[in-house]
Amino acid sequence: MVERNRAREHAITAAIVLGVLAIWYAVAALVAAGDDPLANAKLPYPHVIVDRFLTDFGEVMEAAWESLSTALMGFAIGTVVGIVLSVVMVQAAWIESALMPYLLAAQMIPMIALVPISQTVFKNDTATRLFIAAFITFFSVAVAVVRGLKSAPPPARELMKSYNAGRLRTLRYLDLPAAMPMLFSGLRVAAPLSLVGSVLVDLMGGSTGLGYLMLAAQTFGPAQAPLVWVAMFVLLVLGFLLAQAVILAEKVLAPWQPAMRQGGR
Amino acid sequence: MREAIVAAHDHGSVGARPSAVVVSEVSKVFGSGPSAVTALDNVSFDVPKGSFVSILGPSGCGKSTMLRLIAGLQPVSSGRIEVERHTPDEMRRAREFGIVFQQPILFDWRTVEQNVALPLQLIGTDRDERARRVSEMIELVGLADFRKHRPWQLSGGMQQRVAIARALAFGPRFLMMDEPFGALDMMTRERMQTELLAIWASKPDTTIIFITHSISEAVLLSDRIVVMSARPGRVMKTIDVDIPRPRTDQVRRDERFVEIEAEIRELIFSQEHA
Repeated sequence: MVERNRAREHAITAAIVLGVLAIWYAVAALVAAGDDPLANAKLPYPHVIVDRFLTDFGEVMEAAWESLSTALMGFAIGTVVGIVLSVVMVQAAWIESALMPYLLAAQMIPMIALVPISQTVFKNDTATRLFIAAFITFFSVAVAVVRGLKSAPPPARELMKSYNAGRLRTLRYLDLPAAMPMLFSGLRVAAPLSLVGSVLVDLMGGSTGLGYLMLAAQTFGPAQAPLVWVAMFVLLVLGFLLAQAVILAEKVLAPWQPAMRQGGR
Repeated sequence: MREAIVAAHDHGSVGARPSAVVVSEVSKVFGSGPSAVTALDNVSFDVPKGSFVSILGPSGCGKSTMLRLIAGLQPVSSGRIEVERHTPDEMRRAREFGIVFQQPILFDWRTVEQNVALPLQLIGTDRDERARRVSEMIELVGLADFRKHRPWQLSGGMQQRVAIARALAFGPRFLMMDEPFGALDMMTRERMQTELLAIWASKPDTTIIFITHSISEAVLLSDRIVVMSARPGRVMKTIDVDIPRPRTDQVRRDERFVEIEAEIRELIFSQEHA
């Protein structure tokens, strides 16, 4: 039964991919048939993109690694800062009500506005990428973990109190483990966004990375256009892999949650 | 008023034993001003050492609050509670209370074994001693085959047995149970009641304070029953149960059992119609 469902899922996925490709070819052919001399540059055929990916493989991978590595580091920094901040916030209601508005306000700052400012401050592409990726990550994580740290039921807290466990031990043995599911739901959102943040810095004045590759390709005329698409697809695949990596980490580190468990009643 | 009859059960007469807990004129008010709610009003009773005392009453009579006051989880508004000549808070800090709630409150990220080990870990019991006590407790509650299981893989009754093992693992002088079988089905519930008596028999020095709204449960298990009325919570009567121990399922058909059950039922209904 499960096998049959899985087979059906695969069939549907394959059908969707084929459908999208078919539409793409059709539209690209339509554009090419028009009288726009730059048609091929605007919407190249998929096989042209694949071809370009293979030709420029080394250059693309180098840019991808630059974007991915800084995104990952920023993601890690943002995660740590987010967890620490949320632990601080749940210590007292007044700390939370004092800090939460700033956290939500920070979430409203458009990244497009923040990137030039931080470029001016850091005067360094890598530092800016780290900062932006960390910034995007930290509030997703902080908002989620604050909720997670409060998720233990009141009797669990009373139980810890009956063992005369202080704040630190209650945090370690009860609240932090109980916050794991929320932490991971924050990380799932933040992981692809941290990558987008890193690439945004390339797009706004960086000189390496996938974003730079896109920008450069656009600047150097229609012949380079497929490279823009190559960079976009690589970005998409990396984002997908990052999200999958978070899900895998969750399965390993918090397999006990209701959504993950097997053999339960 | 019925005189407590001295009977041959393993704990001796309740009335003759020294008090482990003395509750005198305790009131508890939640909130303040016009929205203040009186949960307990001038409550007094005694818990004899090594006895099984139930606090019985309808929902809203403040019986769970009473348990939390004795366990030092909340302060009284007025009155006094003495536990072995100490304040509840002192006794809590000395880790003399093992608590079992209506929900088992097991940690999903820990196995059965690790859940039972939790209080020992917090106390700082060394590894060997911890392992010895955990396996002793798990055997006592009959879960030897499930030590590596996760809580959600167990039935409700089994989960509650893990909670009892955890509450007794660190050897507290008091076992406090807040409607521990309230969420179980009737058949599991009755089995758990006799099982609790068997577990208690192996730890006879433990004093048990048991919160329930089931009259038959209270009569079957208790040496003494504190019957409470609701809104505000007051003690209607304290009744000593003189049915000899060890008590088994047979006791439910015992003449004395039926008599005491009827007495309490009448008491509660007379209050409701007043």
